[in-house]
Amino acid sequence: MATRRDLIAALSQAVGNEAVIWRPEDVRAYEYDGTVETRLPHAVVLPETAEQVAAVVAACNLLQVPITPRGAGTGLSGGAVARKRGVVISTARMNRIIQIDPINRLAVVQPGVANLAVSLAAASSGLFYAPDPSSQKACTIGGNVAENAGGPHCLALGVTTNHVLAMEVVTADGTLVRLGSPTPDIGPGYDLRGAFIGSEGTLGIVTEVTLRLLPLPASIVTLLAVFDTIEQASESVSAIIGAGLVPAAIEMMDRVTLQAAEAGLQCGYPPDAGAVLLVEVDGIADIVEEQAGRIRAECLEHGAMEVRIAEDDEERERLWKGRKGAIGALGRIAPNYYILDGVVPRSRLVETMAVVERVSAAYNLPIANVFHAGDGNLHPCVLFDDREPGARQRVLEAGEAIMRACIDAGGTLSGEHGIGYEKQQFMGWLYSDEDMENMERLRPVFGNEGLFNPCKILPGGTGCGEMAHDAAAIRAAGQDAYV
Amino acid sequence: MASEHSHWPLLADAPADEDLSRCVHCGLCLTACPTYLVTGKEMDSPRGRIYLARSVAEGTLLTTPTVERHWDLCLQCRACETACPSGVPYGRIMEHVRAQVAEAPQSDPVVRRVRRLVLRHIVARPRVLAAAALLPRKLAGLLTRERVAKLKPKPLRRLAGQIPRGQGAPVRPGFELRPAGQERARVALLTGCIMGEVFGEVHRATARVLARRSIAVEAVEGQGCCGALHAHDGDLAYARKLAKKNIAAMESDRFAAVVVNSAGCGAAMKEYDDLLAADPKWAARAAAFSAKVRDFSEYVAELGGEVPSQLETRVTYQDACHLAHAQRITTQPRALLDAITGCQRIETAGADRCCGAAGLYSVNQPAMSGELRQRKAVEIAASGAQIVTTANPGCHMQYLAADAESHLDVEVLHLAELIDRAEAAAETSR
Repeated sequence: MATRRDLIAALSQAVGNEAVIWRPEDVRAYEYDGTVETRLPHAVVLPETAEQVAAVVAACNLLQVPITPRGAGTGLSGGAVARKRGVVISTARMNRIIQIDPINRLAVVQPGVANLAVSLAAASSGLFYAPDPSSQKACTIGGNVAENAGGPHCLALGVTTNHVLAMEVVTADGTLVRLGSPTPDIGPGYDLRGAFIGSEGTLGIVTEVTLRLLPLPASIVTLLAVFDTIEQASESVSAIIGAGLVPAAIEMMDRVTLQAAEAGLQCGYPPDAGAVLLVEVDGIADIVEEQAGRIRAECLEHGAMEVRIAEDDEERERLWKGRKGAIGALGRIAPNYYILDGVVPRSRLVETMAVVERVSAAYNLPIANVFHAGDGNLHPCVLFDDREPGARQRVLEAGEAIMRACIDAGGTLSGEHGIGYEKQQFMGWLYSDEDMENMERLRPVFGNEGLFNPCKILPGGTGCGEMAHDAAAIRAAGQDAYV
Repeated sequence: MASEHSHWPLLADAPADEDLSRCVHCGLCLTACPTYLVTGKEMDSPRGRIYLARSVAEGTLLTTPTVERHWDLCLQCRACETACPSGVPYGRIMEHVRAQVAEAPQSDPVVRRVRRLVLRHIVARPRVLAAAALLPRKLAGLLTRERVAKLKPKPLRRLAGQIPRGQGAPVRPGFELRPAGQERARVALLTGCIMGEVFGEVHRATARVLARRSIAVEAVEGQGCCGALHAHDGDLAYARKLAKKNIAAMESDRFAAVVVNSAGCGAAMKEYDDLLAADPKWAARAAAFSAKVRDFSEYVAELGGEVPSQLETRVTYQDACHLAHAQRITTQPRALLDAITGCQRIETAGADRCCGAAGLYSVNQPAMSGELRQRKAVEIAASGAQIVTTANPGCHMQYLAADAESHLDVEVLHLAELIDRAEAAAETSR
């Protein structure tokens, strides 16, 4: 068994002293991500090149120390929490945009580049990067690849996997390989690019990504439809899609969320609405106008009190600012939230939302709803105070009840946040043991023998089962135990 | 209220648990934080700093020299507050954290002690400060642009370059300027500490711009340093003392507003209500006073009306953090510049990112301050601007330093100076 001293020496060798964080008070800042669970790593490294990443992975494998990759730590399923401690590899210093190629409409970036930074850099060429998670100002492309991130505009344009052409990755055993091909079509051979995206950092760490860029739409119309009830809003979503319209985005926010967002971000939301839909259509001006008119009509027919159309870019940005900051704004109402990420068929939206409401009442926990209504991707946010004894357990149970309802409605466990550690015990609801064993076989293909981002996605695995549920047990393992 | 387990040494001024628990560590602040962008370390991000503070508050972490270093490296620019959807009052948290560090420092106790003494006994004492400012003012008279540009080595050139030139005599309490015609309203002007001594021309320009709008400007006696630097340093007790002095001096109903042309001072004065909230004798007075405080650009925009102005130039406006992030004023200064005939305004990508001046930061943290200054220099050079304009004395001097250090060949002006120049030019051309 290696000691912490051996580990730090090996890491310093790989990336230099200054890029190794090991003091107990420093690593404290890496025990969390965007979720509620925490786990203290032994060390954190900040590599700047793919070679350094490979050297770190090799060193950790040699010393048999677990590795957890981390982008900006904005993830919402605990993907960047080092469940078995060990070493966190942060991509924060790999944040260069290497190339924007307007002719081939692609961008080559390092993994630590923020999602929004790509679109900002491409804007002068009239291009943008389509997936737009709500945390896009801060979340990284590397993290997006790991979680196969989505976002409001993925309704029409698809998620991360539809926009990543090629990657350079360091696999779990420290080999530097290329996946995919920087051409419009997926290259010949097995699509390992597809297998890697959404693997939640369990197969390796991405060190360079070639992204597809799209031309900025010529015309955009953003509508804000105001409703008394979530049911009316949900029915409008079904009606819009049922009418054959494909908006760029359809987002829903409930009363609690609206009030928090308005208080925090002053985005002009109606304070007394029961729910709103934020709908965006883009494309050629005439068609956009016509579609916006039809969407407006559908909303009004299904009970909208008012349908507002953003007058200018400034108003559109304000409306979106509220949506994108909505989750964080919940911090105004409660010290903690637990955000779920379930998917149901659009046709089952209304009844699933009713279940969420019932769960909220049964567990006596307020739940805010803000989600991608267009693709049935729900984000109920359970609000609570972690300092209250027993609160966390009740929250986890409420979350489980909601996830169960999503599955029962024919849906799935994650739209975009990933499974991480938080939902792995539910995977059995969706998959048979054979299904999961088959998935598990992919890990050794990329050299993961159990050390690379351990205890994520699939339940079980050595030493992971007992951690699945109880946060206290994780803490009890001891924060200053040596590797 | 601080929790019972807290390791804070000064419970009376401990960061409030309600403030700390507002942070849900979503991470949206990361890319807004200048120091995180430089080091890439979570402990040098707002989220990380709050987490460390929260750990100390919950009694699971002791303040160590390492922890203090991460707090010390914070610019207190508050860009994270603009980015934060939860409304975490980060500036307030950091001031209270600094109060804790000052109470029982684990590192650099002598430096911290000296800094506190300098702030209390030089910066906050007009006569002592005037004496201290004499040398730089004399130097400014001798240093022409050309002389500065030839100085070597670079650090000397930078130091000499950042002394404001052409600022004339100091403007101190007692100063008054009345409009030529009828007086529409009267405002109190904060002369401030360093501002009044070495930026006299900025004050005069401020008064002239207001006088053209029929506003009388009076720098009333009895006022003093605003206390912002003291609060940022965690010396909340002294900041409260200075706040009371200014409230007493300038709260009179004679004044329609209290106009401040230094973003840092304006932000602090708008938060006097917060600073004195727990003081039953002063809370109401402070709230009334804070409501009357206006930044120069904010007040001019409120006044409305069009005064002709003309200046053929390319200018870039660089936000002062405590204007953009603490006071959330970003559109008014730009609109005022856009109203000048012939003035082409160039927006740079990092305009609202801190330049690294940050009050005493350039002295306390010269390396990080220098890095941020050089990043600004690159952006300004790329913009092709002839004039850099800002709205805070610290930033002003940092851009002067950048100009000297990197041979940017730009003129640095306070927004009031630039507007005054353009309005004067329009007057003479008529």
